[in-house]
Amino acid sequence: MAAAPLYILLCSGEHEKIQMAAMLASVAAVSDRPVRVFVSMNAILAFEKGKSPAERYHGGEFSRLIMENKVPDAIELFGQGKMLGDLTMHACSMVMDLKKWEMDHLVDDLFDGMLGLTKFLADAETGELLTL
Amino acid sequence: MQTIDARGAFCPGPLMELIAALKLSAIGDQIEILSSDKGSAADVPEWVAKVGHKMVGVTDKGDHWSIIVEKAK
Repeated sequence: MAAAPLYILLCSGEHEKIQMAAMLASVAAVSDRPVRVFVSMNAILAFEKGKSPAERYHGGEFSRLIMENKVPDAIELFGQGKMLGDLTMHACSMVMDLKKWEMDHLVDDLFDGMLGLTKFLADAETGELLTL
Repeated sequence: MQTIDARGAFCPGPLMELIAALKLSAIGDQIEILSSDKGSAADVPEWVAKVGHKMVGVTDKGDHWSIIVEKAK
């Protein structure tokens, strides 16, 4: 039996939560589980194109340790999940409107488009929803 | 046999490196991954069983593990 899709609602701009979302998403995707990630609120700021890791990630003790050690970068992990598994990512249309951003403001080759919360929630009824 | 040296990389780096290598391999090929990540010795066999490849062996080398996987599909 196919695994139920994993839906991840990522809204925190905290590095540790973005990292955890990227780890969950990439490992689930490469384990034959469909993953759907919806990025909203402060989390979207971490996906702005052209930022350095120091500009992109803000957090506490583990943010510092992640950046000081050979821990896979969250953006790269999401990319690997997309490349090696069934992982889609959507930007919340409301926060994109508020920021007056278009898709080209976001990191290349990661997002599949914008989506509204209602559609994401309706889709999420078919699987397991995690909020970070 | 191809060997990937992922020592020093943290979770889930070694697993992702293994998966990328398996994707480029032929069925029957064996790949060894060297990992110092404490979770890899359990995580890699779990992933291999989940997706249907074959575990050849896990060996504790003291400061790292040698994990050998055969591509089965």
